[in-house]
Amino acid sequence: MLEIKKMSCSIIDSDINILKDFSLKIKDGETHVIMGPNGVGKSTLSKVIMGYYKYQVTDGDILVDGESILNDSVDVRAKKGIFLCMQDPTVIEGVSNSEFLRTARASIIGEKVNLYTFIKDMENAMKAVCLNESMLHRSLNQGFSGGEKKKNEILQMKILKPKYIILDELDSGLDVDSLRTVCENINQYMNENKDASLLIITHYPRILEYLKPDYVHILKDGKIQKSGGLELALDVEKNGYTGINVIAGDGVCE
Amino acid sequence: MNKVLYIVDNNEKKDYQYDILEDTIIYHFSINSSSNIEVHLCHENVTLYYYYNNINYDNNSFNIKVFHDKNHTHSELFNHGVNVSNKKLDYHVEGIVLKSSSGCICNQENQIINMKDGKSTILPVLLIDNFDVDSNHGAYIGKFSDEKLFYIMSRGVSRDEAYQLLLNGFLINSDSIERSQIDLFLKEIKKI
Repeated sequence: MLEIKKMSCSIIDSDINILKDFSLKIKDGETHVIMGPNGVGKSTLSKVIMGYYKYQVTDGDILVDGESILNDSVDVRAKKGIFLCMQDPTVIEGVSNSEFLRTARASIIGEKVNLYTFIKDMENAMKAVCLNESMLHRSLNQGFSGGEKKKNEILQMKILKPKYIILDELDSGLDVDSLRTVCENINQYMNENKDASLLIITHYPRILEYLKPDYVHILKDGKIQKSGGLELALDVEKNGYTGINVIAGDGVCE
Repeated sequence: MNKVLYIVDNNEKKDYQYDILEDTIIYHFSINSSSNIEVHLCHENVTLYYYYNNINYDNNSFNIKVFHDKNHTHSELFNHGVNVSNKKLDYHVEGIVLKSSSGCICNQENQIINMKDGKSTILPVLLIDNFDVDSNHGAYIGKFSDEKLFYIMSRGVSRDEAYQLLLNGFLINSDSIERSQIDLFLKEIKKI
């Protein structure tokens, strides 16, 4: 279980809190969605969970299976199963996709990766996400289109097999067909890994046509203001964030 | 078919001079060394790719002058250095197109990564005495970005391994490099 407990966070060396007393419990196998207007801290939340260097947790805690991860470095958090599918994946010139993923997989499993198995897994995963095999040997995310970058993130997910998957605006930069393809891959992954959980950060409910949520939360003023099911996301689409009846609660969804 | 040259300098100061008569790629790897290089593109339509990659510990310099002596000559310089300690590393990179040389392409890209607080300088110089030249230069001195480290580490790779990936990508910056030719340099990267 991934649990965020009354967490407040700010930008390093700043006293402005972006998230305030934010709480959320994501049990194994659950899919949660965070929605909210621009600038309320949705992406910040995803990065804080991953341990982004520009943010500091000023209060509260983040727990994985009951243990705090606040003192863990970014790589240790990843080894504990957290995977952040980034909104705008970083370009890393000179480091090939295959070299990067092979190193990452060896780090995650803690042993050397069998080259034959790795190549076979990569070929299958690339085919599944409709990425050309030539991208294996290209520099990480360099020259990739927006859609290719997102598919590459999902490729990494399939290879690294995380337990807690955070999708930060997966749908941005994806055309309809590509969105369907990556969502099919995520659904397949979730079916094959029943204890894996999803945290989806999005502006639009379109992605929820493919990834069925258990809970939808509206984030505002640094904490969850309203929780519900898919109907809440559809309500947002129909009436906008200003049109829905947001009642400040304790921000905890169990 | 390009002519390919490999140079590996190890703790030395050396001067090199080349007259380029056919399309050529020079891979120049330098460990804690200083070099003065003079290159003349002395045949029409020839192209030179020069990859200079260096690992620096003491005070060192890299000076290169590329003369476009003939028409339609083309130079592409990629100079990458890692300044490991607090010492000085200086690059002086000159592309020279004579008035008599027409239709040339003269480009250079220079980067130095400071692993500590070393003093590095890059002087990119383009001396163009003709009106029909295509010429660009770029220079960067700094550290590996925190954003890159974060991305790599977010996939479970430790900080040390992330640096090794970045160093390899930065210093072995062409897919065509035959690793067997630069065994010494590859071992040196692992020591950083």
